[in-house]
Amino acid sequence: MKPLHHLSAVELRDAFVKGEVAAVKIVETFLKRIDKHGKELGAFLSVLGPRALLKAEALDRKRAHNKPLGKMAGIPVAIKDNMHIAGENTTCASKFLQNYKAPFDATAIRLMEEEDAIILGKTNLDEFAMGSTNENSAYFPAQNPWNLKCVPGGSSGGSAAAVAARLSLIATGSDTGGSIRLPASFCGIVGYKPTYGRVSRFGLVAFGSSLDQIGPLAATVADAALAMEVIGRPCASDATCLDLPPETYSLLPNLKEIKFGVPFKFLESLAPEIRANFDQSVAVMKSLGAKVIDVDLDLLKYSIAVYYILATAEASTNLARFDGIRYGARSKHAKNLEEIYELSRKEGFGPEVKRRIMLGTFVLSAGYQDAFYKKAQKVRSLIIDAFEKAYSLCDAVLLPVASSAAFVAGKFRDPIQLYLQDIFTIGANLAGLPAVSVPSGYDQNGLPLGLQIIGPQLCDVPVLQYAHAYEQATKHMKIPPGYTA
Amino acid sequence: MKDLPYDLWEPVIGLEIHLQLNTKSKLFSPAPNHFGDEPNVNISVVCTGQPGALPVLNKEAVKKATLFGLAVKAKISPVSTFDRKSYFYPDSPRNFQITQFENPLIRGGTIVADVNGELKTFPLDRAHLEDDAGMLKHFSTFAGVDYNRAGAPLIEIVSMPCMHNPKEAVAYAMAIRAIALYLDISDGNMEEGSLRIDANISVRPKGDKNLRPRAEIKNLNSFHFMEMALESEISRQITLYTTHPHRPPIELIPPGTYRWDQESRQTVLMRAKESADDYRYFPEPDLVPVILTQETLDAWATALPELPHDRFKRYVTDLGLTPYAASTLINEKNLSDYFEEALKHCPHPRPLCNWITVEFIGRLKESGKTLTNVGIPPAHVAKLVTLIEENKITGRIAKAVADEMLLNAGLDPEQIVARNPDYQPVDDLAIIEPIIDQVLKDNPQSIADYKAGRDRAFAFLVGQVMKLTRGKASPQVVNDLLRKKIG
Repeated sequence: MKPLHHLSAVELRDAFVKGEVAAVKIVETFLKRIDKHGKELGAFLSVLGPRALLKAEALDRKRAHNKPLGKMAGIPVAIKDNMHIAGENTTCASKFLQNYKAPFDATAIRLMEEEDAIILGKTNLDEFAMGSTNENSAYFPAQNPWNLKCVPGGSSGGSAAAVAARLSLIATGSDTGGSIRLPASFCGIVGYKPTYGRVSRFGLVAFGSSLDQIGPLAATVADAALAMEVIGRPCASDATCLDLPPETYSLLPNLKEIKFGVPFKFLESLAPEIRANFDQSVAVMKSLGAKVIDVDLDLLKYSIAVYYILATAEASTNLARFDGIRYGARSKHAKNLEEIYELSRKEGFGPEVKRRIMLGTFVLSAGYQDAFYKKAQKVRSLIIDAFEKAYSLCDAVLLPVASSAAFVAGKFRDPIQLYLQDIFTIGANLAGLPAVSVPSGYDQNGLPLGLQIIGPQLCDVPVLQYAHAYEQATKHMKIPPGYTA
Repeated sequence: MKDLPYDLWEPVIGLEIHLQLNTKSKLFSPAPNHFGDEPNVNISVVCTGQPGALPVLNKEAVKKATLFGLAVKAKISPVSTFDRKSYFYPDSPRNFQITQFENPLIRGGTIVADVNGELKTFPLDRAHLEDDAGMLKHFSTFAGVDYNRAGAPLIEIVSMPCMHNPKEAVAYAMAIRAIALYLDISDGNMEEGSLRIDANISVRPKGDKNLRPRAEIKNLNSFHFMEMALESEISRQITLYTTHPHRPPIELIPPGTYRWDQESRQTVLMRAKESADDYRYFPEPDLVPVILTQETLDAWATALPELPHDRFKRYVTDLGLTPYAASTLINEKNLSDYFEEALKHCPHPRPLCNWITVEFIGRLKESGKTLTNVGIPPAHVAKLVTLIEENKITGRIAKAVADEMLLNAGLDPEQIVARNPDYQPVDDLAIIEPIIDQVLKDNPQSIADYKAGRDRAFAFLVGQVMKLTRGKASPQVVNDLLRKKIG
């Protein structure tokens, strides 16, 4: 048998179910890897060793007694630290929630545990998921396992780094503007943002409620699909969660009769290297029998402006609850109510979070709301219409995930320049569409690149089927050099 | 108040009533919606604004709010939505309230109420669902927050500025409370805060179309206080305008929030409004629109119970009660239901109403108890009234029997009468006849009057007989014998 961390999650699950490997052995192996590589990668904010071992022992007993095992039996999973595990810390990589113990389980986490996944720990992120490099963590940044000087992408940077370096085989992420897909692309793994409402947000600390979606990061499309089978379920505790039966993700690698739309005009300014990689991917799709047509998604050029108005508006109210009254950090210097609010938030939040709260408060203010928030809502509707129009002509849209490979930490001093990195991913959030990032090769520095496939709403299964077909035809995914051993 | 130039000035009053719905659980969480428990026991992760918690709309609250809309013949929005209203305060667990700003559930509608014997119609602006805040409690060295009330479902009912004196405002508010009780959507308990009133009030020279600056009086927690507060505020505003006729109204009545101070019997300024508050309303992304189909609305409308105004009309038209008596009954649903129950055993609505609303309530006034909780079954009051109406006992005895019914709640008035020889009507002719003869002999003028067609003379003669028998003579026997003798 190959080393455990060279197996896919599905392969490892099968090996465990067949009795080829004990769950305790799996946990020990991955805890050891976390121990060895976790620090240099900054991937984990907390490691839940004893909890994982308890679960593993229980699974081994279960298997010994021939009791039925769950769909994710024995699979090590890492949880982005903005999702609740009852009784464990949820820090959101913020000083404000340094000692906050989650009072309940996030639905997605509970579902995975019920299917016998083993939770290893909580992964690093940009504070409150605000960022695309993971540099905004209040504790320490996460690094890219392909080059430790480079960012892993964000905001689910810890999750992406952990899976890429095989410190875990599956990790959860949350994607508000690309926070699953961008780090997946930067780290050379698969990242999937489901249709808005497919996965319950109950227990996910909200950033932009109308955009947030939980999804998996994994080494293969099949592994991501397995996670989706488990977490893509209705939830009575989330009013926006779709009341649809869970889907079966059968991955048929056949693209005949499939039509992909590409917004060629929108891609005109793409860097040559990224363009070449994208063109290659399009050629692969054609070689698999798919047709490729031109679609008009020019409106996406407004998506960043729209996003940074709507997401920050929602965030400014979502984060209003962090006031130092009921939980979280209360400033020791506060002498009255006003100061509890002001100082607790001043001391508890990092600069990017403050920037976004101020921006969101501003765009909702009387006198500015029409010019900003309401106008952005209108443009959001137009972007939704543009996608609908595109889908009347094609089955899915192909785009790069990012305009570059991972870059060196600290490269962007100007937040606006950094915000522009999300240009290709935000559209799917604004329109609530399912979108996957799948490895599409490497740049001249050997850093991974990603292809994005965006489907119509509810087409979660087809999107992963297309991604699977592409993945099987290309097999770009590799374990980064320093982490194969 | 009376010496104010009311003929020259017109008050304009609009009310915002917060009505707490009596649902089992809260508006957005499964936590119990219950008053009066230890602090912070009826809470969930939603009520305390935990990160990761999400609101899920309580369907029972939507139904109860909609019933109100149907009852006041308002337009029910087929699609209504929720918005976030942002403000920081410790009793607000998320530091935003979830309310319906842009698309309220209920628009328009009217409240019909009896004001001093005259039926008036008051138009509503809107009514919408929102969640309540918690409560701050101040101790000697610190303050605490009780989140038991946080998330309790409210409907905020906003009237048009359509009332022109405090009596109208009271009648309007009482009518809303009555509707809530009849629909069983709220307990309407003002002391516990289930019904809270904010009043907006301005005055203007009679005939003026434009409204002058208004004062907002917050949290009026009894109808009586509301009436006093409005009267005091009207008087304050008119006095200011008449003493400074040349100063601009906005200087005399700067818009602001007031409260009623019962001690000083004055409205007290709490906070002047420098500029409009900015609540940064925007659509609540965690909730989906509330959609109500016409079928649902039709079904709910068909199942509406008899409403206070319909009952009022029935009492006045079919039962012949005075509007005042009818209002007294319908405004207290318990009392009205008591009357209804008694009516099943007694075909004499007017005396029955009188005995319930005057005799018994008068007797209970001092005790703080009410007829509906003192333990006298409605059938007993019905029996008492029947005994009177069938001339089995006299009014004087009836009052004594009523006293005993209150002393021994549950005792049947027939038994009370049967057990006490003093309550037995004297129907022995041997006793009554000589007394009648005596009365006739002493009052020849009354006999003449009666024969001339004056009924009151007859009643006077009956009264004289009763006086001499100390109220015990059987009215039936006295009537018959008197008539026979006068012939």
